[in-house]
Formats: sequence, structure tokens, C-alpha cells
Amino acid sequence: MPANSAVYYDSDQARRPLLSEMRNLWDYRDLVRLLVRRDLTVRYKRSTLGVWWTLLNPLLTTLILWMVFGNFFRFETPGVPFIVYLLSGILLVTFFSQSVIASGSAIVNNAGILSKVFVPPEVFSFSAAVAAAVNFVISLIPLVILQLANGLGIPWTVVLIPIPVLSLLALGAGVGLLVASAAVFFFDVLDLTAVLLQLLSYLTPTFYPITIVPDRFLWVIYLNPLYSYLVVFRGFMYEGAFAPGWNFAYMVGSALAALLVGIYVFSRSWRNLIAVL
Amino acid sequence: MSDPVIEARGIGLAYRLARSRPGTLKEFAVRSLRKQIHYEQLWALKDVTFRVDRGEVLGVIGPNGAGKSTLMKVIARVLPPTEGRVVVRGSVAPMIELGAGFNAELTGEENVLMYGTLLGRDRDHMQDRLPAIAEWAGLENFMDVPIRSYSSGMLARLGFSVATDVQPDLLVVDEVLSVGDAVFQQKSRARITSMIESGTSVVLVTHDLELVAGLATKVMYLDGGHNKGIGPPDEIVAAYRDGLL
Repeated sequence: MPANSAVYYDSDQARRPLLSEMRNLWDYRDLVRLLVRRDLTVRYKRSTLGVWWTLLNPLLTTLILWMVFGNFFRFETPGVPFIVYLLSGILLVTFFSQSVIASGSAIVNNAGILSKVFVPPEVFSFSAAVAAAVNFVISLIPLVILQLANGLGIPWTVVLIPIPVLSLLALGAGVGLLVASAAVFFFDVLDLTAVLLQLLSYLTPTFYPITIVPDRFLWVIYLNPLYSYLVVFRGFMYEGAFAPGWNFAYMVGSALAALLVGIYVFSRSWRNLIAVL
Repeated sequence: MSDPVIEARGIGLAYRLARSRPGTLKEFAVRSLRKQIHYEQLWALKDVTFRVDRGEVLGVIGPNGAGKSTLMKVIARVLPPTEGRVVVRGSVAPMIELGAGFNAELTGEENVLMYGTLLGRDRDHMQDRLPAIAEWAGLENFMDVPIRSYSSGMLARLGFSVATDVQPDLLVVDEVLSVGDAVFQQKSRARITSMIESGTSVVLVTHDLELVAGLATKVMYLDGGHNKGIGPPDEIVAAYRDGLL
């Protein structure tokens, strides 16, 4: 006879969203791992291009932008070949967009499960963001090859790459959870988000050097959190240097803030979300 | 007497009706400006109170749209009640839809791991149980095949096998005893019966009044989201048949 008579579920239990969500994520870490793997296998198994499919978009974008801005406009990036500067930026911004869109659509995509079985819903959004991070790490391979081919080498600071990657994962998952809440109610939210992400990417110095930005517009770039992530990332990836302290602070601060706000808002609105899923 | 497995007091659950709800942000913005936003609520459950003790089998009957499935979801923690309170003690195996979360592209084995983990079980435990699960479902030779190629009967067998692989304190069953062929129905009912005999409580939704009369220790008649009566199976089933309630 089953002996466990502990309370499994009490609909009135005190709701401490942050704490209980964090614990949920930990309790369901096996599921996160399986979901990430499912995400990656389902995406790659059935396509002939396999893993290259994920790389195709950023590589093509980089090629075109390299042609237009590196050769037509002749943008100069002192100390680093334009193509390396460009690809590092495109990859990072692509990672962010993918994680926001994937985790933002994860709840709607898994409505069939969430309305049949109790699973902490954040698990799906979080797994989608982790899958985007894995894709990003794979996409660093062509960047490494380009750096070696251009004689830049690989500085020791690459071992610190997990810091900006984990921060960006937190930012993407947090923003993704906000998008996910809204996307349950309004399905056009995801389209709108894609447009906003595109605009944000133009405000990030991926294909232009920060030096060509006029002083009176600099604050716009500085305000964009992605700029700080990119500066830190490029520093570690090929400059072998540490970005200014305020960039680190803005990066970590925005990551934590987004994650906490995302989880809080999402778990507070879950009651209304599940009723319409 | 130990604490009840389920204690539900004054449960109500309201859905917002889709037709009154703006589906897009654009529509929402436009209608907000014209002040045309008002929500219609539908109470799928209203003031439902009951308890299920250890080893009891509660059958829930009622016409379509009575709120039976909604009640199962409230018990299984899927839907938080809009009002009232529900307390469930012990482990729960939800069988609201067999194989919720099955992915056609993944193999039988991968799906078993995924489904079991979705149900809150340990991945290593699921790995250990794989052979037994495959054997009970009679699918030993199909576990490495993507389930795209499974028949609906095979899917049901696999889902049932995973869901009932552990003995829970409470089994929440929504119509899934009527899937599959006669042999499988017999086999799955035998498994549930043996669980009941060793102390598992069950909440069972079905339109099969014979099954309810044979299996349940008490029956609730649900209509329009209201509990129209709860009591001994014969009495409630007979009353439901006669349309007296």
C-alpha cells in the first residue's frame, strides 16, 4: 500500500512565485535536459543540412552584410578584421532573438501537454532558451575558424565566455516568459516581438563600428542592453580583454532583472493563462 | 481514519469565453479604444464539494459538458480553481489523455522517457523501467521506431503502460478505459483493479454506467457544473438513468 500521505497539492498554498518556481526548475531538471535534446534532435534529425541549418541564417546574413558594409561602404574596425567583428555580433544577436522567440512560443506550442498534465510551465520556456544557447555554442565554430584564418588566434579569455552566454540566456528566458504570457492571449504578439527584435538588432553595433555613431546618439546605443553583452563577448572572444566595468554591471544586472521579473509576472498570470490555453 | 486523499470544498472554475475575448493585440487595442471590452464568464464548475478516502473509487457521471473533465483537471493540478479549495494527499497519476506530449518524430523509447519525466518521475528510474513498460504494452520490437508509424492502439497501449507503471496514491482516469480492443480493455481494467485492491484511490470519469456500477464505491452526478448528488453507485446511477436528479 502506498505510504506517502504528504500533501501533494493544495490549491490554497501560500504562493511565493520566485522561490517555488526556482525549486520547480531544479526538480524538473531531467525534463529540461530531455526537452533540450528533443528540441535539437527533432530539428536536426529530419533535415539533410543537419546542424548546418542553424548556421545557414547567420552565415548568409554575415556574408551579405560583409559585402555591403565591408566592401561597398568600407566600414573600418581597427584591430580586428571586419568579418570577425561582424560575425561575432550577428551570432550573439541571433542567439538573443532565437531565445526570446523560442521561449516566448514554448507555452503556446506545448498547450496540449500543459492542459493535460501538471508540469511547471516555465520548464518549457526555459528549455527552449537553453536549446538556443546550445545552438549558439555550436555556431561559435565558424567564428573560431575565421579568427584562426585571420591570424587573430584564440585568447585565453575564451574560457570566460560562459559568463556572457549564461547572462544572455537569463535575459532571453526572462524576456521570453513575458512574451509567452502575452502570446497566450494574443497570437500576434510573437510577430510583433520579431519586429521589435529586428529593430533592437539595428541599434546594436553588429555591422558598424561604435566609432561612427555621433555623440548625440551614443546614449541610445549605451541604453540598449545588448550592446553591453556584445562588448563583453567580443572582449573575451578575440580581443583577450575585459570590457569596462559598467558593461559588466549592466549585463549581469539586466540579466537578473529580466529573469526575476519574467518569472514573477509569468507565475502570477498563470492562473489566467491556463484557463484560455 | 486517516486524512482523505482528496478534499474539495466549494470548488468553482470559470472560463473566459473565447467569443468575447480579443484574439490579437490589434483587436484588443481597437476594442479598448471603443470601450468594447467585456468578458463573458462560463462557470464550468460551481460549488462542488466532496471527499475521497483512501481506497475509495469515485465515479463521476453526467451528460457532455457537465464539467467532468474540468473537475479531473482541477484534481490533477492542471487547472487552479477560481474559487474554493482542493487538497490532494499523496502521489497522483493523471490519466486525462494517454501519451500527452508524445512526439511523432521521437522513438517509442525516447517518448517513454519523455512522458515519464513529464509525469514527474526520475529519468534514471524510467530508464530502468523501460523493458517492463515495453513488455506490458506488447511493443518490445517497436521501441526504437519513431512513433509516427504506430497505430492508435499501439499509442494507447504505450501511454497506458507508462501512466500505470508506478502505483500512485490516486489515479485520475478520464475515459481512457474505453480505448483499444477488447483484449487490451480487459488487461488495462485488470491492472486498475489490482491497484485498487492494494490501496490506490481512483477518480473515474466515464459514460459507461456498467463500468461505474461495477468499479466505483461511490458516484457523483455532475450536471451544468453542479454536484447533483453523491452516494452509493446503484442509487445515483439508477437516478441518473431515470432522469430524476
